[in-house]
Amino acid sequence: MVRATTGTLGEFEGLDPLVEPVPGRGWDVLAVWGGARLAGTIPVSAAKNAVLPILAASLLADGPTVLRGVPDLEDVRTMCRLLTELGCEVVWQPSRTLRIQNRGLQVHEAPYELVRLMRASFLVMGPLLARAGRAKTALPGGCAIGSRPIDLHLKGFAALGARMEFAHGRIQVEGRGLSGARIYLDFPSVTATENIMMAACLARGTTLIENAAQEPEVVDLAGYLNAAGGRVRGAGTDVVRVEGVDALTGCEYQVIPDRIEAGTFMLAAAMTGGNIRLENVVPEHLKAVVAKLREAGAEVAEESDTSLRVRGPIRPRAVDIKTLPFPGFPTDLQAPAMAMLTRAEGTSIVTETVFENRFLHVDELKRMGADIRIEGRSAIVRGVERLTGAPVRATDLRAGACLVLAGLMAEGITEITGVQHIDRGYADFVGKLQRVGARVERGTMA
Amino acid sequence: MSEWEKTMRFRVKAEVEYSARDILRLVYQALKEKGHNPVDQIVGYLLSGDPAYITSHRDARTLVRRLERDELLAELVRHYLEEEKGA
Repeated sequence: MVRATTGTLGEFEGLDPLVEPVPGRGWDVLAVWGGARLAGTIPVSAAKNAVLPILAASLLADGPTVLRGVPDLEDVRTMCRLLTELGCEVVWQPSRTLRIQNRGLQVHEAPYELVRLMRASFLVMGPLLARAGRAKTALPGGCAIGSRPIDLHLKGFAALGARMEFAHGRIQVEGRGLSGARIYLDFPSVTATENIMMAACLARGTTLIENAAQEPEVVDLAGYLNAAGGRVRGAGTDVVRVEGVDALTGCEYQVIPDRIEAGTFMLAAAMTGGNIRLENVVPEHLKAVVAKLREAGAEVAEESDTSLRVRGPIRPRAVDIKTLPFPGFPTDLQAPAMAMLTRAEGTSIVTETVFENRFLHVDELKRMGADIRIEGRSAIVRGVERLTGAPVRATDLRAGACLVLAGLMAEGITEITGVQHIDRGYADFVGKLQRVGARVERGTMA
Repeated sequence: MSEWEKTMRFRVKAEVEYSARDILRLVYQALKEKGHNPVDQIVGYLLSGDPAYITSHRDARTLVRRLERDELLAELVRHYLEEEKGA
């Protein structure tokens, strides 16, 4: 039985969100009533995956960093707690502005309790190494979407002159006076590119990162570093060049819009036959999503350089999707896109090439009546006439969004547990959906 | 018949034509006014195609997307070579 509450999980630090209920309240649940055609306007929040590295990079700056429009997310709160532990003063100001002042790094270790909650905690390693000459952390946590090794980060640190030591589940990196180097990444990892960029910022000489990630979030981090006095060139291409400087000052910075949040709502409009205008988007960041939505029969119109409108068809057509690093189709939208394809006309093939364990949502979709078969790294999705609401569990952040979207077009009520995952990456997800006509309520289940 | 049911004629303001040179100048000015390093930002855009390098101030981001990047680059090369010839 779902009971509406207003609490957030920010109060319950240290819980394993997958297995532990909220003390005294039970399990947090989202109830989604299907059938509504979504219509209205949604302002998209700033990008979680851009905010987190920029927060980590603020450790490099002597002066204050002022970030505007920071989204209210569990991962942002976790990163703020981490920065505070390391010796920063972090203050929320009006209009979702965050001011971070480095008060001198007293601690060089990211605590296990925080690192296990969020993989992005590992992003403080590069700045700590550059600023303090040493950094220590536990192996990172985050969503259970497969093995995401950190060896590329460590390879980069080693090339800059750092030494590594592993013991008792912790990694220690040491190296005073880092020197620029030429680093080839075996895979264009976003967080490895970012971590190496930050470490190289205060190194002597020039660092070249080859086969670098080209994601917009890497460009945004470079934008912050340059605004703070760094010299980073080529971000957004496969070669990033960092010229070391003596120090970074602080700066004011506005983070880019969240392309994954925008894509999620675009899919929601398409699959419910809706009509949604999205504000605060960069259409170029969404090219792959726009192409697939058009292929599925949705109308997508660029209304300005910061807004898009999506009108959904009565029933989407089947499309094949293959996830790839940017500018390809983002792996973070694979699960939400699969929700749309469960009801498409025809058979779609969804191939996941970025992470190897990212089909955890498939069994849950099947509980709602979807016809999906997994074959290696591909899911074969045969569109069905209708989904039916069922109790399901979100196993990770994007799987959570996928199940909410599936619930929006299912008959009856879908009850979703594991809601905490959604809090990690979508700011006011329920509120935004409600404002475009979705019937979604948050509550607890005994 | 009400006023709104009659056939009406609208005069739509013609879109101003901008040359590559005009666009580069306007974008440069907008970036400068916002405190960015205009050369670095324009180079970043030309290399990557990410419009986030260009500010929305004075509609610079919309303007820069009116032309393909190769057209902007061609203008830069042409201008540089002309200057060299005249020097």
